[in-house]
Amino acid sequence: MINKRAQLKIQQMVFMLLAVTLFFVLVGMLVLTLKFSGLKESATELEEKNAMLLVTRIANSPEFSCGKSFGNLKTNCIDADKVMMLKTNIDEYDNFWGRETNIEIMKIYPEGDVICTLGNYPDCHIINLQSKEIHIEHSNFVSLCRKDLINGEVYDKCELAKILVSYKDWQEVQE
Amino acid sequence: MKKGYLQISFTWLFAIIAGAFILFLAIFMTSKLIGTEQVALDAKTGKEIGVLLNPVEIGFESAKSTIMTLPVETRINTKCEEDNKFGGQIINLSQKSFGKWTNTDIKVRFINKYIFSENPEGKSFYIFAKPFELGFKVTDLIYMTSSEKEYCFKNAPEDIEEEIEFLNQKNLVTENCREDSVEICFSGSCDIEVNYNSKYVMKDGSKMYFNDDSLMYAAIFSDSGDYECQVKRLMQRVANLALLYEDKANFVSNVGCNSNLNLLKLKNTAESLGSSANLKLVSDTADEINDLNNFAECRLW
Repeated sequence: MINKRAQLKIQQMVFMLLAVTLFFVLVGMLVLTLKFSGLKESATELEEKNAMLLVTRIANSPEFSCGKSFGNLKTNCIDADKVMMLKTNIDEYDNFWGRETNIEIMKIYPEGDVICTLGNYPDCHIINLQSKEIHIEHSNFVSLCRKDLINGEVYDKCELAKILVSYKDWQEVQE
Repeated sequence: MKKGYLQISFTWLFAIIAGAFILFLAIFMTSKLIGTEQVALDAKTGKEIGVLLNPVEIGFESAKSTIMTLPVETRINTKCEEDNKFGGQIINLSQKSFGKWTNTDIKVRFINKYIFSENPEGKSFYIFAKPFELGFKVTDLIYMTSSEKEYCFKNAPEDIEEEIEFLNQKNLVTENCREDSVEICFSGSCDIEVNYNSKYVMKDGSKMYFNDDSLMYAAIFSDSGDYECQVKRLMQRVANLALLYEDKANFVSNVGCNSNLNLLKLKNTAESLGSSANLKLVSDTADEINDLNNFAECRLW
């Protein structure tokens, strides 16, 4: 009788220990899930901050800037001819401005939605560097300049444009 | 004689075992979580530093300086990494937590940043940026120093002295130097020797060559291994930009805009640079091309 009661108590103890362990494992998993969702939020915030700060400066970076090609040194001026060449070599610049950061330059006037390719340039409106759709972005106004030929004369043509920088949303990424 | 023994009921025994187990688990998980949290914080701060360096980059200015203050004592380890593309700038942070430096293996990598530092530590850091040009602008070089460390420039050329004064960065001085400051001499011998005519910096027994002031500061504020690696990364950027301008030259020739610059020569010279000792070769090629560009029918940059 005593032996049987002892066995029962041992069984009770085993079940209790299992239940307690399981409880802590579940609590631990919950905490970790919350922590990781917080990390993804922080990562997205950092990517957003990067895009926001990048958009104010990227027009002056050597891969985009006009330099003195169109007269004097200009700030926030993008060389469209150079950007078109950058677009053809974009594989070399993979993740260069940030993880999965995409850059698009959109003419404000004349307005339109024709995507630029080497075939239709300069009669187009949007230069999308990575040819990927832009979802979430930050933008800045720039002047978009290029060399043009009219009546056999080469001249500089500058138009008002907007540069858009999109960033990776880590919260959309599934485990 | 009756033998004495400790009589513990099953309830007590269970309570002790379960209690000890629960306590052990709680302590173990808390310590693990604190560790993970610290690693995440270090990685986040590292990325934040890199992101915050974006506005430091230069537009029209010749140089600019800013201060960055962190809430806790931090050691910023910067490392250069080479690869067959642009290489990478690694930022790895270690922060003081409960009097001990955290040890994180997480490295934040930036492809478009060039930071020159000697792994500064403290709460406040000075960040000073200067454009690097080889005919055309290549990038902005970033120099990071701890506010606690003073650099004393002795017998510097007039334009360097003027630039340092203009920067108004408190830890870069030309006179009234602290006793513990790092001495940078442009003549004579001291901690860091700069031979401005032969264009090299002598530091810890290593010679680092430069072609302009931006790389001179880079050699002063970093160690030779990192400097040589960053120079190679810069040359990779030069090679890619040269290729971009070569493509642009061909593209704009369609509208009658001719430039005739030998940019492929610059690309090949930059790509084949073995060490900073051969920097003059690239610099001379770049100067030659830049002169032609300045008088070209259509300027490429």
